[in-house]
Amino acid sequence: MTRTDLRKSYEILELPDSASLREVQNAYLRLRKLYAGSSVALAPLEEEFSENTRRKILQQVEDAYDKLRSALNGERTNAKAGGAGERGDTVPELDRLEEIVYSGPVLRKIRERVNLNENAVFQELKIRTELLRALEEERFEVLPQVVYLKGHLQSIARLLGLQPDRVVEDYLRRYRDWKDDRGKE
Amino acid sequence: MTQTEKLGKEGEIWAVGGGKGGTGKTFITSSIGTYLAQKGRRVILVDMDIGGANLHSFFGIDRPARSLTSFFETGAALSDLAVRTEIESMSLITGDIHSLSAENIKFSQKLKLFRQIMKLNAQNVIIDLGAGSHGNTLDTFLIADRMIIVIAPEIIAIENMYHFVKAALFRQVKKSLKEYGLKEIVQHVWDRRERYGVKNVKDLIDYLKDAYPYFGAILDRELGHFRLHLVLNMVRSGQDIQLGAAIKSVLMKYLGVPVHFSGYVMYDDTVWRSVRDRKPFMRNYLSTGTAKEIETLVENIVLARDVTVPGGMS
Ligand SMILES: Nc1ncnc2c1ncn2[C@@H]1O[C@H](COP(=O)(O)OP(=O)(O)O)[C@@H](O)[C@H]1O
Ligand SMILES: [Mg+2]
Repeated sequence: MTRTDLRKSYEILELPDSASLREVQNAYLRLRKLYAGSSVALAPLEEEFSENTRRKILQQVEDAYDKLRSALNGERTNAKAGGAGERGDTVPELDRLEEIVYSGPVLRKIRERVNLNENAVFQELKIRTELLRALEEERFEVLPQVVYLKGHLQSIARLLGLQPDRVVEDYLRRYRDWKDDRGKE
Repeated sequence: MTQTEKLGKEGEIWAVGGGKGGTGKTFITSSIGTYLAQKGRRVILVDMDIGGANLHSFFGIDRPARSLTSFFETGAALSDLAVRTEIESMSLITGDIHSLSAENIKFSQKLKLFRQIMKLNAQNVIIDLGAGSHGNTLDTFLIADRMIIVIAPEIIAIENMYHFVKAALFRQVKKSLKEYGLKEIVQHVWDRRERYGVKNVKDLIDYLKDAYPYFGAILDRELGHFRLHLVLNMVRSGQDIQLGAAIKSVLMKYLGVPVHFSGYVMYDDTVWRSVRDRKPFMRNYLSTGTAKEIETLVENIVLARDVTVPGGMS
């Protein structure tokens, strides 16, 4: 990747060229939350600027984050001689945002992508690790009642900068499909 | 370089606007001026809130001896209208005009006023703008070296500010191309914007650059000085400050304008109390957190820098 590419990516994430990986991650989360959700900062312009503008911005933010993350990860690995395994692992590609279905595995991918481990989720949301795992692995039979599940999904979505409504909708659809299937047996 | 020189060039014009009334433009203007003067800069404040001028009352001046009225009515020189304030090295040109509103200043008077503003003998000329997005208000905003926007964290103020910024940007585009005899094209495209697939001022700029490649260079150069310094006033929570950062982002990404989130000022009862008691805030409440916030935002404006937003996700 060229220097100009890098500089452009920093610019999109509204960061100086000297920003650390941590700062890049924070900026990514913040911008994603802003442009994927609803904000007082956006509402007054929504009529004049199409949904397409917003999607384009989100895509740019995604791309910039991808580029910087791999560049900065590479830097870190290089800096430590033979630092194998030091975050060099690649995270599976996520599809374009608007096409995503928020299944359990996708939620896990996104969580890993922003470097939030199970313990961090527990710290932030008080969601136990066993429950988080069941949710992400879609072991529906051990999940709590829908009212509680919905609450958990909403807070996870918020933490990850996703639209809570969409996450709840997608996930619960899968949950209901499973339930229907089970009913037939 | 001395401490004073570090605070900017000679004769810098700063303008404080933002659309909505009551967001604290006049308070911020008075405080910025006082801070710079206390640092040894020669400052002149100009109250351009024509029709609603009240900057003088922030300095306990009841009935200014001279005002902009004499400039418009008797042709007095602007530099003769400055009155002293109790802050050394800072004077004030009051805008106590009963006979005028922003709309009915004549074009020739406006140009003369701008010429004289640029010639004022001061290190910083700080202009307090009125509410609204009237053409004369926007033009005054556009002559500034530092364009400062003051908002409060509430929807109407944010809405009005976007309107103000879009109108200022549109005016700047027209103004830029006018000097090259190309003003009509801007209006032409805007009037038929549906046909050209132009929905907003950002699209307009993109369209012009695309359709007329040599406009690109002109616009880039002329719009180069369009840079906003955002001040969020009357903040009550960390969430409000996050909102300031979000607004900066939206302005940059949707309108394509460079923006610095220069600083924020907490809601503070001593502010309106000092206004009520007609005392310059920065003189009497120097040790308060609010004074510190003003100091930070002025330094950030000078250096075209952003404030650190506390409590970003950890
Ligand atoms: N940070 C603040 N905290 C508390 N009151 C404030 C603050 N900023 C401004 N005010 C008060 O709000 C009112 C409006 O401020 P003003 O500067 O006159 O607004 P504007 O010039 O934008 O119309 C004034 O009474 C002022 O004292
Ligand atoms: Mg005012």
